[in-house]
This record gives sequence, C-alpha cells and structure tokens, in this order.
Amino acid sequence: MKWRDAASMAATSIRRRFGRSVLTVAAVALAATLLTALVTIAGTARTKVLSELSKGGPLSGITVAAAEADPSQVDTDDPKPGPPKDLDESIRTRITGLPSVKTVLPIVASVVNVIVPEPPADAEVLSRLPPFPTTVAPTTSAPPFSTVPRATVPGLKNPDPFPETIVGIELERASLMPITILTGRLPVPHSLTEVAVTQGYLTRMGLTKKQAAAVVGTEVQFGAPRVFTDSGQPRRFRSRWTRATIVGVVAQETAPGQFVVSLEQSRAARAWTASGSEVEGRLQIPTSDYSGLFVIAEDLEKVNEVRRDITELGYSTSAPENLVASVQRYLRVVEIVLGAIGAIALVIASLGIANALLAAVRERRREIGVLKAIGARDRDVQRVFLFEAGVLGMVGGVVGTAGGFATALGVSGVVNRYLTAQGLAGVRLGLPLGVLLGAVVGSTLLALVAGAMPARRAARMPAREAMEAA
Amino acid sequence: MGVAISLRGLSHTYRTAEGPLTVLGGLDLDLADGGYAAITGPSGAGKTTLLSLLGGLEAPQQGKVEVGGQDLTGLSGDDLAAYRRATVGFVFQHFGLLETLTALQNVELAGTLAGSSPADRRRRALELLDAVGLAERAGHRPSRLSGGERQRVAIARALVNQPKLLLADEPTGNLDDDAAAMIIGLLEQVRRDHACTLVMVTHNRLLAQRADQQIPLDRGHIQPAPHEARLR
Repeated sequence: MKWRDAASMAATSIRRRFGRSVLTVAAVALAATLLTALVTIAGTARTKVLSELSKGGPLSGITVAAAEADPSQVDTDDPKPGPPKDLDESIRTRITGLPSVKTVLPIVASVVNVIVPEPPADAEVLSRLPPFPTTVAPTTSAPPFSTVPRATVPGLKNPDPFPETIVGIELERASLMPITILTGRLPVPHSLTEVAVTQGYLTRMGLTKKQAAAVVGTEVQFGAPRVFTDSGQPRRFRSRWTRATIVGVVAQETAPGQFVVSLEQSRAARAWTASGSEVEGRLQIPTSDYSGLFVIAEDLEKVNEVRRDITELGYSTSAPENLVASVQRYLRVVEIVLGAIGAIALVIASLGIANALLAAVRERRREIGVLKAIGARDRDVQRVFLFEAGVLGMVGGVVGTAGGFATALGVSGVVNRYLTAQGLAGVRLGLPLGVLLGAVVGSTLLALVAGAMPARRAARMPAREAMEAA
Repeated sequence: MGVAISLRGLSHTYRTAEGPLTVLGGLDLDLADGGYAAITGPSGAGKTTLLSLLGGLEAPQQGKVEVGGQDLTGLSGDDLAAYRRATVGFVFQHFGLLETLTALQNVELAGTLAGSSPADRRRRALELLDAVGLAERAGHRPSRLSGGERQRVAIARALVNQPKLLLADEPTGNLDDDAAAMIIGLLEQVRRDHACTLVMVTHNRLLAQRADQQIPLDRGHIQPAPHEARLR
C-alpha cells in the first residue's frame, strides 16, 4: 500500500468517526493552546524584561565613557569612571577593530541653553490626557492654551532658560542604542530641526509620563554658547540659536541629557562653542571628539572580553552584563516551568490519542483482519493507524497553536492597556515562528509516538481475525 | 487458470487458557486445479482453520501446504501477504466490507493493496461491480446495501486481482434463500469464467453436494466414507 493510499484510508476513517476525532483533536488543540500561549507569553515577557534591562538597546551593548578606566572594576556592571580622557577617532577605530566587536556607535553630547516657548505643551492634547497629579487638567471647553494665562493651569511649568545637554547620536542606527520610545518617534536622521526629549524634560515641565504626548509637536530653542573676549573689552557671551520641534519622548541611557538630537546638530553646537576665544575666555568644553561610544559585542558572552580589551586601551566601560545574565537565568527557569506545564498537557492529550486509537483497534479487529486477508502487510496496517494518529495530532497542533497565539495576543492586549495606562511602553508580540512551528511539529510527533503502540498492535493482529469475526 | 492444492500431514494447534487445542490433526488432501470443493462439518471441526491455512491467513505449524506448487510452509508474514494478494480471493460470511468505504472503494481496496494505479483499479472495480450487477450501487456504503448485494460486492472485491484460488467461508450463511441461491450461482459462474479453484465452507448439505469434492471434517480429521470426498 502506498503512503498516499494509507493517508486516504486514515482520512476516511477520521471522517467516519467524526465525533471521536473531534474530541481527540480538541484535547490536543487545548494542550497545544496552553503550550503555545505559555511559551509565547513567557518569551514576550522575557524580551520585555531584557529590553527594560538594556533600555531598549542590545543586551550585548557596552557604554564607553571618555574617562580613564579602573581595571579593578572591569567586572562591575556600572563602575565609577576615572578622570576625563579624550576619545578620538583613532580610539574609535581601534575599538572597532577589536575581536568580538560588532558595531561602534558614536555619542557626542553638548551643553546648550534651552528656551521653552509658550505654550510648553499642547493644551488640546493635554485636555484629553490624565490630569496633573496635584490639580485638575484643563477641559476641552477651555479656551486655546496659548490664550490662557499660565496661572490658570496650575501645575504646568514654563521654566526659565536653562542649561542642558543635547545628546547627539547616529539616528539612522538609533535602534541599536539603549533608547526606548515612549511616545512619538525619534528625529529623522541628520535632522537639525527635530528633537526627542526625555522624561527629565517632562518633569521639568511638571508633566507626568502619562502626559508625554502633550509635548510632541511643541518647539524648543537651543542656544550653543560662545565667549568673545575682545582686547580691553569685558568678556561677552553670544549664543547660536536653533529652533527644533519635539517629535517624541524617549527613555535613553546613551548619555546624561534631556534631548536626543542628530549627531550633526550636537557637533554644530559643540563646534560653535569650541570656536570661541581661547584660553581664559573659552568655555570649559570637553576636548574629546566623542563624549562616549556605544559598543555592541557579538553576543552577551563576549561582553566581558570586549570590556577587558577596551579597559586595556585605558577607557572606562559599563554594561549590565551581570544583571542581564542573572535575570536571564531566572527567566529561563520560568520559561522551562511554563513550557513543562504545556508539555505535560500535550503528553496527556497524546495519551488521549493512544486511548482513542487503542479503542479503534479493538473495534476494527475485523476490518484489520479483512485488510490483511485481501493482501495488506503488517506495515500497511501500521501506516494507516500512524497516519490517523499523525493527522489527529497535526490538526490539533495547528488549531491549538493558532488558539494559543490568539490567546497570547489577547493577553498582550490586556497587558498593553495596563502599561499604557501606567505611561510605559507596551509589549510587542512578535510572530514566534519557532514556537508555532515547534508546537505543531511537537503535537504531531507526540501523536505519532502515542499512536505507535496501537498501530503496532493493529499491525500484529492476526489476519485470521477476518475469519473469526465473520 | 486455477491452482492445485496438496496438503500433507497438516496439523494445527491453538493455545487456549485450558491448554493446547488441536484443530487439525494430520490432514492429507488433494484438490484438482480448477476444482470446486466444499468443506463441511460441525462447529469446531476445523473448517475455518483449514480455510485460513489454505488462504495464507496463518502459517502452517506442522505438515505441508502446497498451493499451485508454492509451499506455504515457512513463508514470512510479508510473503504470505504477497501470496494472498496474488493468488487468493476471500469471500466471508459477514461480507468483510469496510463500512467507511463505498461499494466501489471496497472493491478498489484490493487493487490498492496490490499497488495498482488509481485509474486502473477504478476501471477494474467498475467492471467487476457491473459484472455482479451492482454498477448502479457503486457509490453506496455497505449499510445501504442488502445482504445479497453486500456479498456480491465482496465477490467483486475477491476477483479484483484475478485470484487463482477463491475461498468462501459460509458465503450464504447470512442470506435468505433467494439471495443464497443467487450468490452460489454467481460463485459457480465466477469459477467457470475465471477458471479458478473454489473452496467453500458450508453447513448446507445441498450446497455441498453441488461441489466436485466434499471434505467432511470432524475434530480435525477428514471423515471416512460415505462422506469421503468424491469427484463428480
């Protein structure tokens, strides 16, 4: 008997015993649902937790400071940096060439004066967002924010110009850096007119994280300071002012600073400041090309090796490697436990398949005997029953996997609503193809294993059964 | 063409809870090529066991079974299956049709096991159903057929692989007189048309008398005259 014919016979048998087949498939499907949902949720939770630990960047990220290293602290996640030490292009090139280094991303921070224009937040957006912690939010019936005297919106601050650091990064590779978008987006690469702000800016405005959306679309002005010291004249300060639109609110760990801008914008500010009068009139600006580097090792296991190499070059590094490794271990335990619960359910369902098939073998003794009497070999009979088991397992696996993923989607929706309400970034449930495929293949294989014994029993049934039953 | 059958010293014993049960005790028998034999005898005489051994449903334990010159002694399970596919056609008292399949699919099944192509076996099955007068009922499942119709489907299935030996175990046991007469007529016609050897187990003396050779069994032995086998 050909495989195709065996499959056809198995399919016919399943159809004719529809009720029992449905119940058997349902048992497998429920188990596969449980397994898929648990593993998917555990995997997503793992990603979220690790993402929080790495602040949205890669787990194998290392922050290199423009400071001297303390070799004794190389195994510490967040060591205290030593005295400033210039990080120039040649060092960047050397770090890029180190073994196990995947990518090196530059960070250029500059100190600027910041002016927050009126209004400091979008009134209409604010009216739709949660109220201020200490007072009542403006209502939609209120006049436009720009016409409302500041005093009528208690709690909302419009601070005086203040000095703050802008952090310049390669925005086209921002996804590789420890930056999490809370609302809005990052500035477009190379932009000189867009900026993302951090929660520190919100705090300065008197806003909470939940109200972050209210600052998106508003503008700020950055003034890069410069000192002029004409002979015989008192020292004068002038700033190079640029206006930028806030396009998003982020949490970032690349460098201290409340504004994330393009590398070009930060460099321009720094260049303006650095081109001021020399010696006594010059502002205290770093002489380092980069205020830091963000180095990505090939994987988490290589982080310590790369940190040691960079330390040997004389630079201080920090990376949450120990914390991440520790958390990963705990998460792995959780995953194993949840996966085991699902797997146990699947094994129980497989026993259901075995039971159903054993019953089928008992019921179909005459049928098996007849098949043999008209020429079926033992393996032909075995094939039919194995197909039946495999089909039940696979259909159950497919249905259950789809159900499990749908369940995980539902759970992530609930979790996202909670996280959003808390002003936190939500979780993104990816399509865990490995898990889905594994659940289907696993269900099918388990069903085949469960069906092996009944199939063998059927195959060994003597052909004489055809006569005895007759 | 049919096959000649030769049994020499054929013994068969089953293990039971009460101990060994010998159902055939040193049987010697010859059947002519293309012959028609009826095995008779009371329950427990060994009729079904003899038919099983002739049909290769089980391997002979002791003695020799030769069918068409092929010694069945010592054949493996797969070899016996191949023998059944190539040489034997079975007709059972309870028809032995698979309830999940239609009449056509039941007939096709023998071709499926023989490895025929789907088109060939479909054509052959339709021819045979037509030959037994059931072309119109090809799409019906056994549950929608009468006893006589089911047995005709079973006969059609038995003929799919052009067997040289047709074995019928009480083929009219579950049929009324009219249907039984029709089935016996059909079997005899099939034997003539296909020139195969027909061995039938029956309790019906009248039916047995229509055979060329009667084999009256009792407690595993062929009874002596006047019930001794005779050629017609």
